[in-house]
Order: sequence, then C-alpha cells, then structure tokens
Amino acid sequence: MTKRYVLVHDENKCIGCQACNVACRSENNVPESVTRIQVRIEGPYGNFPHLHFKYNRVSCEQCENAPCVKVCPTGAAYVNDDGIVSINEKKCVGCLYCVAACPYKVRFINPETRVPDKCDFCKETRLARGEEPACVTVCPTQALVFGDANDMTSEVRKVLDTKNHYQQKVNLGTEPRVYRIPSRKGGIKA
Amino acid sequence: MNNIWGSMEQYDPVVWNWIIAVYLFMAGLSAGSMLVAIGLKWYKQSRGQPTEGLPVIKAAAVIGPVAICLGMALLVLDLTKPFEFYHILLNYNLTSVMAWGVIALLVYIPLVFVFAALVFEKQVLQYAPWLAGTLKVCRQVENSLNKLIFALGLGVGVYTGFLLSAMISYPILNTAVLPALFLASALSVGSAGNILVATLFFSKKESDCIEQVHRIEYPVAFNEALCLVLLFVGLNFSGPAAQAATAAITTGTWASVFWIGVVGLGLVVPVLASTIAPKAWRHTKGFLITVSCSTILGVLALRHFVVYAGQSYIS
Repeated sequence: MTKRYVLVHDENKCIGCQACNVACRSENNVPESVTRIQVRIEGPYGNFPHLHFKYNRVSCEQCENAPCVKVCPTGAAYVNDDGIVSINEKKCVGCLYCVAACPYKVRFINPETRVPDKCDFCKETRLARGEEPACVTVCPTQALVFGDANDMTSEVRKVLDTKNHYQQKVNLGTEPRVYRIPSRKGGIKA
Repeated sequence: MNNIWGSMEQYDPVVWNWIIAVYLFMAGLSAGSMLVAIGLKWYKQSRGQPTEGLPVIKAAAVIGPVAICLGMALLVLDLTKPFEFYHILLNYNLTSVMAWGVIALLVYIPLVFVFAALVFEKQVLQYAPWLAGTLKVCRQVENSLNKLIFALGLGVGVYTGFLLSAMISYPILNTAVLPALFLASALSVGSAGNILVATLFFSKKESDCIEQVHRIEYPVAFNEALCLVLLFVGLNFSGPAAQAATAAITTGTWASVFWIGVVGLGLVVPVLASTIAPKAWRHTKGFLITVSCSTILGVLALRHFVVYAGQSYIS
C-alpha cells in the first residue's frame, strides 16, 4: 500500500455547523433522506456554568481491518491500494450484511441505487483531480485535516505526530483511519 | 427527532429483520429434521431393524426440502436487488461466512431433494418414470449421500449461527456460543417438526417410532438451555457494553419474548410434558401435536429474539 489516506477531526476547532454535511451532499449527489457524514452535537457535558458540547463526526472510518469488507459474500465491498473502503455496485446483491456488520453504523442503502453507500473521501471526483474531499475544503474552522499518512512531510502526518488523538472503538480491532483530536474541555469518550 | 445534523433513520441498528429470523428458523428446521431422520436411520440400521417407510423419515423428506426452499425464497426477496441475486452464486469472498453458507446450501439443497426422492421412490416413479435410472444410481450411493447430507446439515445449522456472530459490534451476537445454540435449537425444532408431520400425515399407529426421537429431546433441550445460560453469563464478563446488553432478558418486549417464547414454550413446556404428563397421554395425537407445536414456536421465538435483541444492543 503506497498511500494511506487518513482524516483528522479536531474536536476543539469544530463548531458543529454542518457545512461538511451539506458540501458532501452536493458533491456526491447524496439523496435527501440519507447522509454520508453527520457531525452530531452531543451534550451538554460538565456542570453549570462550565458546560460544553462534543462534536462527534459520524462517517466511514475507512478501517484498515474493515468488518464490512470481511463479511461481504461477493467481494462487492473491497479496499484498494489507496486504503479507501469502496463498493463495487455491480457485484452487490443488497444482502445488508455489511450494513449490519459496520460497528460505526455509517453504511446505508442508497434509495436510488439500492446499493450500500458511504463516505469514500470523494475518491471518484475530488481526489481523482488531486483535490481534497469536499468536507475538508469547506470547513470554515479548518477542523478537518486530510492527507497521506505515509508521506512524512504531509500536514496530516505532522498533526498526528504532534497532537494528542484517539480513534473510535479501537477495542474492536478495526483500526480506523479517522483520527480525532479530543476536546480540551472534556475527557476522551468514544 | 429534528436534529440540526439531519435524520437519524438510517442509523437504526436493527438492519436484519423478521424475514432473516424466519429464514434462520427455516434453515434450522430443514437441517435439524434431516439430522434427526438420518440419525434415526443409522440407529435403526445399527440394530438391524428395518428403516423403510418410517413416519419420521417420511416427515423429514417433506420438511427438509420444503423448509429450506421457503427460507431461500424469503432470503432472496429480502435482498435490496433480488433480481441480481445470481451475483452471490458467481462471486465468492471466502472470509465471509455468508459465502461459505452459499457453498454449503448449493450442495445441501439438491441433496435433500435426492433424499426425499429416495424416500418417496414409488410416488416419484409414478409421476416421473423417466427418473428411474437416476434414482437407481442414487440408491446405490445412498449411504454415502446420507453421510454427506448429515455433514452438510451440521454445516447449515452451525453456519446460521456464525452468520450472526461475525458481526463484531453486537455483543449478544458476537459470541462463539451462538452457533452451538443455533445447532441445538435446530435439532429440537427438527425433531419437533418431524414428530408433528409424522403424527399428522404418516403415522398409522399412535407411537410409530416417535419414542426414539423423543429420547434426543432431553439432551438437546439441556444443551439449548446451557447455551443460553453461557451466552448471558458470558456477556456479564465481557465489558460494559456487553453487560448492558444483558438488559435484553430483563427489560422490554424482547424480554417477554425470551421468557414466554424461548424459555416457556421452547424449553419448559416440552420438558414438563415429557416428565409429568400421565403415561396414557404421551402417545395420543393431541398431546404430540401440542407439544411439538410448542417447541416449534419456542425456536421461532428464539430466532426472533436473537435477531432483534441481538441487534438492539451495540458495543
């Protein structure tokens, strides 16, 4: 694997504005009733007057050890050299095994194609043109950093090397490629 | 809820619904009835007794193919792209339990039809005399075929459990006990199904070899109960998320399904019926029908409980 695309979500900088959600929808033609990314505003945590919210990005974690890929009976769910968990629509029969197996619950059936859908870091469109994913580009507070973690000079590498970060549900052994910088106001709670 | 981030509908953790539960039941029923019938056949053969025309074996020859075909029909209809289901027959990802299930079923389904054709040879030849040659060949390899069907029956029974236990984020499902539980309950629903169909359609005397089938019910019920205890006791020691999932048997609708359906109808009623019921009743038609229906409903409840309660708790 030459590339290892990862995404870092800085929960200190995020303001829960949903610009990423909207940009993703328009870039990827996501039907109205479903979403590829949500930033859930959880909380409030703490005791008055020291209250704070947690901004929880919910999107495909691009697991290195992806449960959805393992359970797919036809190989329609697969991982390429870029490490992005992808879907081959032609091979898919719609058994929903991958949707059920995903521990992050980020796979959904696209009502138009009848095939599972999810974030793919805009790999067919923006990434193919050498641009960053739509959510990263529109983020007004630069809470998202995207790049190749195998490239030692990349910004994403620098962020991961210098800032405290965590991944969700590491105990399941899925090795997600979405990293999170925990809010200074609260503890780590995945 | 009207969240700023949008609808939560697609995040419902219950992805597989009652259709899958009924399929898992049908697959268990088919596999269980074949296992019981072939086991009975071997038992009789080893004692030098005749095995031709036993009501229980005739019943299995009906249940085996019918149950698995109904189950497969449900499964295909439940796909989001039912007309493209053939892709699953062409592409195999061998890390997927489902792919192994497809392979097992591809061999199992035609073989249960052969089994049925051999049991009802006379009737088959009446309507399709052109099958005489094929049936003759099958008859010659019947013993090996039975061994193969037995092995595949075990495979089908166990695979339905592994199918669910491969989903790592559901604590109730992601345990090694589940395949054993499904196999044990497949045997109990298989024997109950065989007794029911045999009593209703094939039995001439009241106790036509139903005794031997009854004899396996105790150990099977014991194993099923043991697996259920292991499942929930095990959850208690597997971290906070798994511990929270034990609420499945204490609160909510699925707790009632568990205690009334799975434990009550599936385990308590059959065991009590064969221990305290007066001897005079035991081989009456009404009694056999009631008890086997109770077991069947119990196993149907178990599959629903596992599918729904299993998916309701996520780690």
